[in-house]
Amino acid sequence: MAMLNFERRYRVRGGTLVGGDLFDFWVGPFYVGFFGVTTFIFTAVGVAMIVYGAAIGPTWDPWAINIAPPDLKYGLGFAPLKQGGLWQIITICASGAFISWALRQAEIARKLGMGYHVPIAFGFAIFAYLTLVLFRPLLLGAWGYGFPYGIMSHLDWVSNTGYQYLHFHYNPAHMIAISFFFTNALALAMHGGLILSAANPPKGKPVRETEYEDTFFRDAIGYSIGTLGIHRLGMFLAVSAAFWSAMCIILSGPFWTQGWPEWWNWWLNLPIWR
Amino acid sequence: MSAYENIFSPVEVWPEKPEEGVLGDIVEREKGTIFVYLLGLIGNAQIGPIYLGTLGVVSLVFGFMAFEIIGLNMLASVHWNPIQFVRQLPWLALEPPKPEYGIGIAPLAEGGWWQLAGLFLTLSVLTWWARIYRRARALGLGTHVAWAFASAIFLFLSIGFIQPLLMGHFSESVPFGIFPHLDWTAAFSIRYGNLYYNPFHMLSIAFLYGSAVLFAMHGATILAVGRYGGEREVEQMIDRGTAAERAQLFWRWTMGFNATMESIHRWGWWFAVLVTFTGAIGILLSGTVVDNWYIWGIQHGLVPTYPHAVPPVVDPLVTGAGQ
Amino acid sequence: MKIVAALFGVVIATLLTVAMLFTAGWVHPPILSTQAGFRGLALNQLTTPAAKAKLELANALPAAIEEGPPDGPKASEVYQNVQVLKDLSAVQFNTLMAAITTWVAPDQGCNYCHNPDNLADDGKYTKKVARRMIQMVQHVNTDYKAHVANTGVVCWTCHRGNPIPKYTWTNGEGYPQATGGFATTNRGMGHPSWANGSTALLQDPYGPLDSQASVVNVRVQPTRALPLNSNGPSYQDAENTYSLMIAMSKGLGVNCTFCHNSRAFWSWEESLPQRVTAWHGMQMARDLNVSYLDPLKDLLPAERLGKLGDAPKANCMTCHQGANKPLLGVSLAKDWPALGGTAAK
Repeated sequence: MAMLNFERRYRVRGGTLVGGDLFDFWVGPFYVGFFGVTTFIFTAVGVAMIVYGAAIGPTWDPWAINIAPPDLKYGLGFAPLKQGGLWQIITICASGAFISWALRQAEIARKLGMGYHVPIAFGFAIFAYLTLVLFRPLLLGAWGYGFPYGIMSHLDWVSNTGYQYLHFHYNPAHMIAISFFFTNALALAMHGGLILSAANPPKGKPVRETEYEDTFFRDAIGYSIGTLGIHRLGMFLAVSAAFWSAMCIILSGPFWTQGWPEWWNWWLNLPIWR
Repeated sequence: MSAYENIFSPVEVWPEKPEEGVLGDIVEREKGTIFVYLLGLIGNAQIGPIYLGTLGVVSLVFGFMAFEIIGLNMLASVHWNPIQFVRQLPWLALEPPKPEYGIGIAPLAEGGWWQLAGLFLTLSVLTWWARIYRRARALGLGTHVAWAFASAIFLFLSIGFIQPLLMGHFSESVPFGIFPHLDWTAAFSIRYGNLYYNPFHMLSIAFLYGSAVLFAMHGATILAVGRYGGEREVEQMIDRGTAAERAQLFWRWTMGFNATMESIHRWGWWFAVLVTFTGAIGILLSGTVVDNWYIWGIQHGLVPTYPHAVPPVVDPLVTGAGQ
Repeated sequence: MKIVAALFGVVIATLLTVAMLFTAGWVHPPILSTQAGFRGLALNQLTTPAAKAKLELANALPAAIEEGPPDGPKASEVYQNVQVLKDLSAVQFNTLMAAITTWVAPDQGCNYCHNPDNLADDGKYTKKVARRMIQMVQHVNTDYKAHVANTGVVCWTCHRGNPIPKYTWTNGEGYPQATGGFATTNRGMGHPSWANGSTALLQDPYGPLDSQASVVNVRVQPTRALPLNSNGPSYQDAENTYSLMIAMSKGLGVNCTFCHNSRAFWSWEESLPQRVTAWHGMQMARDLNVSYLDPLKDLLPAERLGKLGDAPKANCMTCHQGANKPLLGVSLAKDWPALGGTAAK
């Protein structure tokens, strides 16, 4: 596999977290490392289980394949393989693969002398996933609260879980999470657009530099957060979206069992205007 | 081991004179800049100078009028009681007309105010778009921000105007109000048979989540190479430095593929633009082309079947059971 | 000045946070649950031990009263002006009267309905209303087995020792609409109410339960993929049904997935058997409101009527009172065949 023309001088030994020099090599463009090996094993087992689950299921229609968690009656114990046990193994493999991937990112960041921002940001996504399939089921006392693995079946789960609280949009943490998602997309559009507009000026104009970027946004909305700031903001918005998504579902069930709209009664019933 | 993690700026340098900005084709900016310490921890401390211009003033006036129509109608709905206004604010609504009024003009109390507010808000948004476009041109920049904004406006108009027009009822559209617009979202999904089965809704959400993933990846990568000056992205594009090289190798080694300093912004721009664009298509198809997305899903092999825990039931209205 | 403002903001934010944390009604594990559908489909009901105990307390049973023997002279022979319970023996009749007193007016006693000087006198409006309500109970127990099964209902089911059932509804109970002038009316939406479950949906969603239509039909979802024309139900109809369904959920103390698989609310094939029972319940509520409760407005004194002059009416909450089976499924009617109850086998 061809390397980028500047790549060779970055491919040096050292900087691993675990395993010393043993796995300190590349396969094609991929860096391996100890966590590359664990990622591979978890992924291979997990994917094999998904394929097996699909094979013993009623359909090969990719939209309709469904690997469901156990019945609630199994609580926090192991379920038979064909009654949710597969889901449990896949969950273990997925968690292992995601965490290995984050540690692999940390190792690569170390090798390249970079900060650990990427694995930290990815950590928020892992946290959101684990909230759905590990923390919330633990709090509710059954693995059966996890979401099923399937393209449409997980949407059916989302729909029903939402309507367990009558109107999920009234969940305050869900409101915050969605606001972060939308704001993130807005900020990404503005940042991407600004950089592209500076690098791709109209015909005959020179490529513009930072002063023009700042001036554009100051002219437009009165404030330009700056080149470093926009990346801090973007990372903050993105990880906040993941964090509050996790919050909105961990509250639903373990800490709230009624309709979410009724949660707002505390506001309506404040002593100053009740 | 102590890493340069670059989460905030511990030292702020405030210039004696604020940055005035480069001269574009139009140079008369509003006076006044201020420095805010808290902002400086994250990004630039300087606020202003802003450029208003004719379009900006027109846009703000229209926006203010829409805001007032909505706010005063809400205040009227609590009988001008300021305490109830604050208490019930998230619930208060300005609802669109009834279906009977079709796409005609409704009496003010029956949705006419909604139409006026929508009209003014649209004018405000469109003039703001023109302003963004002209500012980019005045500074000799590309118009990428304006076109991304246009995609959002397309969604706004699809919900508020185009889909209702296609359906022949302004009553289709979304009310103004915090909780009322959430009720519309839920009821719209119910009415059109579950929006989760709308493929364009799927795409829109995938791009929305994808935007979060991309901005997390991009923001984190640039911060992680901040010690090499990675945030000077345009300069890194023209004159690649070690920051760009490390950032690219990071992703190449992680996932076998990498964007470049320029292309990552194209990825980001497209993902963000497609959130609203595919969302708008999903709205425009609902009711006009597809009436029940779940049944559409059955017809196109999307729908998983689940074993029945109890024998399935039948519609008592059809069987005439009971009464 | 800046500091005062900042302090003020911090104090307000703290007070709001405290109110949100301690008055919102948060719960904590353990959570009790029941699963209805296939695993992973999330057709679950959730409650807490505290809420369950509270519900059991609220559904405590009244003191048991035994119906007298059917032998001996008929009530209509012994008493004057017996119009409805003619065929009971006088002893049965008396025990039923005692039971009704316990169920409806335990504190007020017989004189709540009767003139103590002449028990046959129809002078008190309460007596006439009570007679009509006995007929209603008989109607429910005999004609709505699809909803009440053999469990049936008695006066206690709704009254619970109150002369007026705790949960009734009348028109125009919500936050008053802006009327007159040219400000928006919003057609009854945009304010929180008990019935809309504190959403901004229709405040007063019970219209279909008091309509002259022969069948309550609140269906808004098309049963075909492609549109026929653009004059089908609007999303606003969907909002109104949504609000009624929220009121129903609250009345029964369940969530939407008690009856529906929310991926296809309309689909009976996807639904649970409870939905059929609930459907008959809506038909029953409409029938009772139109045939028995609305007409009471001519008998009831003005202070018993609603804001718009209509009689108090029934909805799901009236009988169910937050339990998916009233009185948690205990049958009182089985002991009272006179009320149309089906005796236990």
